[in-house]
Amino acid sequence: MSADVDVLIIGAGASGAAFAWSMGDTRMRILCLEQGDWMNPADYPSTRRDWEVRMDREFSANPNVRRRPEDYPINDADSPIAPLNFNGVGGSTILYAAHFPRLHPSDFRVRSLDGVADDWPIDYAALEPYYALNDRQMGVAGLAGDPAYPPHEPPLPPIPMGRGAETIARGFNALGWHWWPSDVAIATRDYEGRAACVNLGPCKSGCAQGAKSSTDVTYWPLARRAGVRLRTGCRVREILVDDKDMATGVVYYDEHGVEQLQRAEVVVLACNGIGTPRLLLNSKSARFPEGLANRSGLVGKNLMLHPWGVVRGAFDAPLDSQLGPMSCSLWSQQFYETDRSRGFVRGYNMQVIRGFGPVATARMGVARGDIPWGEGHHEAFARRFGRSMTIGICCEDLPEECNAVTLDPTLTDSNGIPAPKITYRISENSERMLRHGLARGAEVMKAAGAWDIYGEGPVRQTGWHLLGTARMGEDPERSVVNGWGRSHDVKNLFIIDGSVFVTSAGVNPTPTIQAVALYIADAMKQRLANLFD
Amino acid sequence: MSKDQNAASDPGGMLTAAQLAILDAVLNLIVPPSADGRMPGAAEVGVPAYLFAEAPDAVPVLRLELEELEQGSRERFALGFAELKERERRTLIESMRAQAPSFLSRLAMETLACYYQHDRVLEGLGMEARPPYPKGYQVVQGDLSLLAPVRARGKIYRDVT
Repeated sequence: MSADVDVLIIGAGASGAAFAWSMGDTRMRILCLEQGDWMNPADYPSTRRDWEVRMDREFSANPNVRRRPEDYPINDADSPIAPLNFNGVGGSTILYAAHFPRLHPSDFRVRSLDGVADDWPIDYAALEPYYALNDRQMGVAGLAGDPAYPPHEPPLPPIPMGRGAETIARGFNALGWHWWPSDVAIATRDYEGRAACVNLGPCKSGCAQGAKSSTDVTYWPLARRAGVRLRTGCRVREILVDDKDMATGVVYYDEHGVEQLQRAEVVVLACNGIGTPRLLLNSKSARFPEGLANRSGLVGKNLMLHPWGVVRGAFDAPLDSQLGPMSCSLWSQQFYETDRSRGFVRGYNMQVIRGFGPVATARMGVARGDIPWGEGHHEAFARRFGRSMTIGICCEDLPEECNAVTLDPTLTDSNGIPAPKITYRISENSERMLRHGLARGAEVMKAAGAWDIYGEGPVRQTGWHLLGTARMGEDPERSVVNGWGRSHDVKNLFIIDGSVFVTSAGVNPTPTIQAVALYIADAMKQRLANLFD
Repeated sequence: MSKDQNAASDPGGMLTAAQLAILDAVLNLIVPPSADGRMPGAAEVGVPAYLFAEAPDAVPVLRLELEELEQGSRERFALGFAELKERERRTLIESMRAQAPSFLSRLAMETLACYYQHDRVLEGLGMEARPPYPKGYQVVQGDLSLLAPVRARGKIYRDVT
């Protein structure tokens, strides 16, 4: 048995790192258990000639493809969207695009404003200081003044648009629609000991430069300096509770596969929208026969994944569109806020994405029949390579209890721990929203001058955003944790990741996940004397 | 990707010499050399070695497909596939792919991966044959004055009070 700790964090990704850093100033005994390892930036695909192939294999965002020893399988057969993640210090920020939009004030009030789902127990104003703090700690680039948001000022200048995104921007202007350079968690100049971005390109397979703000290079060095301990290669099997419904610690397998017991005064879950409910559902006991902290029956329910569509356009002019950060040049929130005349409630973000490298351009072109075998191959390739752009359509996904994470009856990870199964369908509202977004994306491409346009969605390999499976709220019968992340059922158990989202909004969630984690950390620090009351 | 990989080598013995000859004949039907000589054909960039090293799981199906191709060639032209004229090879493959669209599709995907990572190909495209790191790339900043009409239209988010 390991020595007791005050705070035990499970998971070293976006939320666990931010929380650990914030709690570091309490000087409590804080330990984080992470099932993966530290990443070596020299191993990232961009350091090798075969980067395009490697990022689809050992650096795939799909754990069922990647199959590293630290990954757990996910049964996604009953879902049109495959869940994506990464396990290691930094978690999914290792592979994320670093597209960094905040939620909007309206995103926290969907019941009041639009009569759907539920309001959050917190609001934009409460989170704003934590968004700003997180922007500074992560190193966020962007341009102040976006009329789609309340005023905020990213600490670093925006990433380059490149000719491709500039071309798309002209299309938005021709239509009179909103666009703005994206907030991006990439250091556009030297920042806090990290070197500036040099446009390597394959951000979504790890940043060898260290310019992309993954939490292994942002929060963790600071947290460890503050005394937080991080133990890698440790996979938690279950959380233990006593007969007073208090968590007492966890059982985990260490890097040698040996079962260990770690006692703790407080247990904090930071495994995101699939890992967190999986662990709670695996922590059954006499007191919690349906899984820990699950008296509401909502652990694992209300999974939200953000259905995604893509609209691709090819242009005559050379755009060098194969260059630049991969998925985050600019966004449009023209169709973000609810307008019922569109036939759906809530809205979507349009995310402008650069073109692909030569391998992906050729493979996608041949698979679609745009680039032929044999005669005409080189001409068709040349008309698309460096001349193609994509608009991603990120749709708000509303919570539905039928969309759920459960435990697979037979599938397990390498330690024999039951693996998660997801059951998910796309709602009619999301379908309508997606169709609307695909049509509007095609209009933008046309206005921008594309000679070939096609759209598709939902796209299967887009389950990056895993949200809602341990939602926050004030009613213990309708939520798993309260407004500051504490379990209604287990007073020393906290959840700080994307599981607590009440609604998904229509944007990438990482800045909000981290702002919520920082908010919860502050809430805990303010209540240390009566944290369990 | 080395420039001097031998397209017909198979040190692991995963394909017979006859199968390698058929494969060699198929590759340029996927990506032929360009008319101006700037781009090599897929038969010149070491696809077999790439396949055996990077995609060995594709070889068993490929072996069957090459045998099917050879059999089809003998039935239709009374000659082995490697002995056919290029036009006949193309006709045969097109007819077989018309019946089964997935025929040779994995080979095509692996061929494209090998081809578009090769030094000669990247240089033919006007690119430097190097990994992205450490040098990176120059990307133009873009014209932020294009935001003027967006600014002029003003705030579009909803107030929540």
